[in-house]
Order: sequence, then structure tokens, then C-alpha cells
Amino acid sequence: MQHRPAPNIYLLGDDRGPTLRFTAKLADNHSICQRAEHKYGYLLSGIVIPLLLTLIDWPFREILTSSNILMFYLLGVFFVAIRFGFWPSVLASLTNAAAFAYFFAPPIFSFAITDPENLVGLAVTMVVGTVTSKLAENVRQQARVAEHRERRASSLYQLSKELAEAHLETEIIEIGVRHIHAEFGGQNTFLFPDRNGKLCYPNEPPLDISLHGTDLGVARWVFNNGQIAGNGTDNFASEAVVYIPLNGSTGTIGVLALYPVDLLRIFLLEQRQLLDTYVNQIVHTLERANSAEQAKEATLKMQAETLRNSLLSSISHDLRNPLATIIGAACTLEMDEERLDEGSRRKLVAVISEESQRMSDLTIKILEMARLEAGEVVLNRQWYAPEEIIGSALRRLDKKIASRQVNIHMADHLALIHIDAVLLQQVMVNLLDNADKYSPAGLPIDISVQTTPLGLSIAVADRGPGIPEGLQNKIFDKFFRVNAESAQSGVGLGLPICRAIVEAHGGEIQATNRSGGGTMVQLHLPILEYPPTVDPEEKELMQ
Amino acid sequence: MKPMSHLLLIIEDDPQLQMLLSTTLESQHYQVLALRTGQEGLIAARHKKPSLLILDLGLPDIDGQEVISRLRKWSEVPIIVLSARNQESEITQALDNGADDYLTKPFSTVILLSRIKALLRRVAKVPGGAREFFQAGELKIELTRRRVFVGAQEVGLTPIEFNLLSELVRHAGFVVTHRQLLEKVWGASHVEHSHYLRIYMGQLRHKLEADPARPRYLLTEAGVGYRLYEGEN
Repeated sequence: MQHRPAPNIYLLGDDRGPTLRFTAKLADNHSICQRAEHKYGYLLSGIVIPLLLTLIDWPFREILTSSNILMFYLLGVFFVAIRFGFWPSVLASLTNAAAFAYFFAPPIFSFAITDPENLVGLAVTMVVGTVTSKLAENVRQQARVAEHRERRASSLYQLSKELAEAHLETEIIEIGVRHIHAEFGGQNTFLFPDRNGKLCYPNEPPLDISLHGTDLGVARWVFNNGQIAGNGTDNFASEAVVYIPLNGSTGTIGVLALYPVDLLRIFLLEQRQLLDTYVNQIVHTLERANSAEQAKEATLKMQAETLRNSLLSSISHDLRNPLATIIGAACTLEMDEERLDEGSRRKLVAVISEESQRMSDLTIKILEMARLEAGEVVLNRQWYAPEEIIGSALRRLDKKIASRQVNIHMADHLALIHIDAVLLQQVMVNLLDNADKYSPAGLPIDISVQTTPLGLSIAVADRGPGIPEGLQNKIFDKFFRVNAESAQSGVGLGLPICRAIVEAHGGEIQATNRSGGGTMVQLHLPILEYPPTVDPEEKELMQ
Repeated sequence: MKPMSHLLLIIEDDPQLQMLLSTTLESQHYQVLALRTGQEGLIAARHKKPSLLILDLGLPDIDGQEVISRLRKWSEVPIIVLSARNQESEITQALDNGADDYLTKPFSTVILLSRIKALLRRVAKVPGGAREFFQAGELKIELTRRRVFVGAQEVGLTPIEFNLLSELVRHAGFVVTHRQLLEKVWGASHVEHSHYLRIYMGQLRHKLEADPARPRYLLTEAGVGYRLYEGEN
């Protein structure tokens, strides 16, 4: 016999609301057919167990008094009542009575009972059995209710727990769709308004339990009116889907479209309340996520504002000085009526060239930072050998650091790393440029590259004055300069650019003071993918 | 000695930059024709037969890339591309379309002049035959005999290493894009497999360079390609 699992529907409490009345007929049909299935099996126990007891008692019929035998039968009734329910136990009582009369109460092998004591005993036993069975039945029912309530509470708890951990709207919706599917058994989907306030289909790829083919017209009606509609309701009752408004603190924020596998699982009062609770939880979480998002945006805006202000003050300082020099020198040359000697003229031209170079560097850095900040940079990751990054950076600084000793500590044949070479070269150029700028001429710069268990680590170290204690993190802030008045200092963007690039690669960068004096800036790049392999070439050399 | 009288065509829409280029190049005794738009440039390239083209990629009428592609359908004239920094993809595309070299703004006129000279020299040098022999610094390559020397020491290369090196030699002094190298050495099906190139370039550097991390000959142009050092000229 095939056994379907018991349905999750119990009528709890007596508070039958209008919705329940509406589906009461359905509910009756449902429960009857469910009960009927059990009944045959369970009723059988009302016959089998008394007969078993009769078999056990039979050999002791000479020893036991009839009241003892009746006690045994009573035990059997209790057992049937607790295990199988009220009606089987009533049947057991009847079977007991028949068996007792036939096998034990004289005359034996006849249903007649001559002894009045036996008659009274039997009657009392039957009454006691029936009453206790009824009590046991009630206990059973309550246990089932309690169990169901507990299951419901735990599913709600599970939902709130998952929702509490979700931060993104898509996560929240996915959790909602999953839990509603698990509890109410239907495919479902959440519909939200677009920018123009009109309800539309979701953009995210659907889950396999997502509902397809909802009627946007009905959903929009529900969204605008804040009332439930669709299957099993008074509005658009011919629809197959139920549309439930998501009512938030500021009005309807969306619509839940639920395809019911079974209307009972949605419209039974307790289920309906549970569904409301689910929907409320989800709506609140969505509202919470939205307000968190808004707060974050506000903070970002404020930060951008602060950045813009410091950028303006920094630019006005750093660009005005070289501009003043260039314009001044150019004007002097323009006005020159052969009064300047050759040496002065050369000097002025050299100043123009130098200052414009400085301005060019600053402008490039400012633009680069703005580009990184704007999130415009998409990493163009390619497989590169670490030595190529170092080599190309050194070549870009060739003239500048030609007189300096650069020591490179690097193992041969380091594994390829998947990075944006142009950006990482920029990092190396900035670090080497700093090392050159902030350490006395003639002292060496050390570059070391090594693989660590987590990735690749590159360090650039100089023998300069180091960074004052406590400022090691500050130097990565935009426009921060250890010694702002120094003529050599740049605009304070070199290291922030490095940090932005390294972080875009999922890595980190830090500065420390070296033992023996000097600064060491070290960056770690995680290895996210292992390098692809290359078909081996026949290794024999050409001759 | 007869002054050089190569005609250089400049296609650049910024008037100041155009003026600077014209003045600088004229002072080096080149003839210069400066134009503002790609359309004018294409017509002039057809009728005036310039020796070299300096092309800004951002033009008011047609895209610089389009100018290169159209020009390459009928002309082998050397093209130097001017581009803003941070636009490696644009540079790479221009080179793949057939440009010969590039400079990023702001650029030094000294470097521009040396690139122009190198390109004009290359055009003069190639009346048909490929080169037999390449030398830069300590590096000597005999192309037909497929032998490579660093100083007096012969270096053994694998066939792929040698093909890669000879492809760079064919464009010595000029940048060759990753795509061009992959296509020439490994074939069209491998143009996306840039790791092949890195690994073999690494092997070549270890065999040919005294310090692979500071290469003298096999230079990396990050994000674009490789350039073989041609020696001081």
C-alpha cells in the first residue's frame, strides 16, 4: 500500500475567519479523504490486538480471575487509543467484550454471560476504556498541534535567520522565494516597480522555483490597490496565480505572485497568517536593506565632497606654482628684445621644460586617481611574468634612476601571475619613483619578489629617512604628504594610486620602516587562478 | 650633403600641437604637410605620396583606427600614432590595424624624431629582401643560418624561441603586439593564448639577457607588446 506523507494542514483553534469559511468545504473534503486512508489500517488494530490478547490469556484462564482478564483487555484498549486513535480503540473495546464473553465468561464458547459480576465488570471496563481513549485522543491531538506549531516556528526562525544575514536585495528575494516555495509549496516570484514606479518583471535570472508567466496587468492592479487578487480571492478569481501585495511602512512596495499547488496551503487561516508573517518579514528586510543602501550612498557622497574639496585645494597649490613659473618665463622670453644673454635664455627655457614636466606628472596622476576612483577602470588581466613588470617599470624610469644602484632579488622562473600589467607597472613606477625621490642619491634601492603560500609579494625598499612612526598608514591617504613643504614632494597621489590598483587586484599594500634605516613598501597579490600550462615543445635545441 | 627632403604628413586636429610638430620637424629639414581631418589626410596620402604619417587617433571626422585600416588597403607608408596615455587597448588596436609605432601624449620631441628616423631608415633598407644578419650590442643573430650569439658564446634556442626572436628582428626597434607575435609564431588559433608568449619570452630572456629582470634587448611595452632593442644609431 502506498502511503502519502501526512499533509501539513491542521485546523488550529476555533477562530474561524471569513477566509476559512470560504474554503471550509474544500477543507472537509480534504481531511475526510486523508482520514479515510488511515482508517482501514488503524481500525484493523482494533480487532487484531484484542485477538492477540485473547491468545495470550487463553492458557492462563484457570489461574486468572475474570477481573484480571478484563484488566488485560483494558490495557490493550489504552494501547490502541494511544497508538492509533479513538475509533480503533472503540472497536477494540467491542472486540474485547465479544472475546471475553465467548472465551472466558462462563458458559465458555458462547456469547452468553451468566455471572452478573462478569457482566458488571465488562460494562465498567468498556466505559473506562472509552473515556480514557477519548482523553488519550485529545492528548494526541494536542501533541500534533504543538508539533506543528513548533515546526512552523522553526521554519519562521529559519527564514528570519537567513534574512538577517542577507544584505542585497537579490539575496533577500532569493531567500523569500525559496522559503515560500518550501512552506507553501508553489512556484512564486516577487515583482517590483521600475524607476518610473511601474511594476515590471525582474531582471535577475530566475531560480528554478521562480514563477514564470505572471499577469502583469493583475499584478499592477494589486500593486496600485494594495489588495490581494487572483485564484481563491474575490478579485480576478479566474487567475491561476495568487497576487499578494507587499505592504511596507510607506505603502505597497511590490507584489508576490504565488502559484498555489493547493489553495488550502495558502488560505487556511493559520497558513494565511503564516504567509502574512513571511511576507512581512521579507518586506521589512527589503526596507532595511534599502535604507542601509541609501545611508551608504549618502556617506559616499559626503566622502566625494570632502575629496573634491581637498582635491581643489591641492590642485590649486600644486598646479599654480609651476604654471606661474612657466607663464613668467615664457613672457620674459616673449618680451625679450635681444637683451637677455644666451645663458639666461637657456635657463628660462630649461625652467619651462622642467616645470611643465612636473605639471604633466601631476596631471597624469590626478587623472589616473580620478579614473580609479570613478570605478571606470576594468582590470585587463593577462598572464604576465613578474620580472617583466619590474623590467618595464625600471625602463620607464631609466633616465631618472640611471645613476642609482638597483638590486633585484628574485628567483628565476617565477610562476606567471594574472594581472593588469599596465596598472601594476604604474604601481612599480610610483614606488620606485618614491624610493628615488625620498632617499639620498647614491644609496641603493632594493626590489625583492617572492612567492608566498597566498600569492606574490613584491617589496621596494630604500635607505632614506623612513616614515615617522604612526604615519605608515596615513601615507596611503589621498593628498597626504609627510613633509608638505618639501620641494620634492608630489601631489600626494602616488601611493593612493598604488593602493587603489593593488586593492582592485584583491591584494594589499603596506609600508614599514626597514631595520638599518629606510622605508619598505610591500605589496601582496593573491593568486586567484593557477597559470595555464603550455604544450611542451620538443626540447632538443636547434643546431 | 643634400638635406633630407622627406615629406611628412601630420594629421592632428589640435592647432597648437600641429604647430609644434610642424615647427619641430621643419627645423630638422623635413617637408611637412599638416592637416586637421582624417578625410583630408587620406586624400593627401594618395596624392602627395608622403614618406611617413603622424596620426592622432582622436580626429573630428573619422576615427583614427578607420584612417589606418583604409590607408593600409593600398599603402605601406609608415604610420606613427599619437594617443593619450592609459589607452593601451586603442594603441594595440592601431598597431594591429597596421600602424608602425606609437607615442603617448605628452611625448618628447626627441623621441619622436628618433622614431621618425628609425622608420624612414627601415623603409630605405628594405628593397625586397629580408635581413640576413642582426646585431645590437652583444647580441648577434644570423637569420638564415639560424644561429644566435651573445658576445662570442653561441646560444642554443628551441625552434619556437628562434621563431619568436626572428619575428622581433623583422621589426627591430619597433613594437610588435602580443597578437601579432602569437599569430606569426603559433598561428591564428593561438592569438588569445598570451601565456605562451610570456613563457617563451621569459625563456628567451634567460638565455639572452645578462639580467632578465632588467632586459637590454627584449623590452616589454606593458599592455601592448614587445620591442627588440636595435642599438644606438
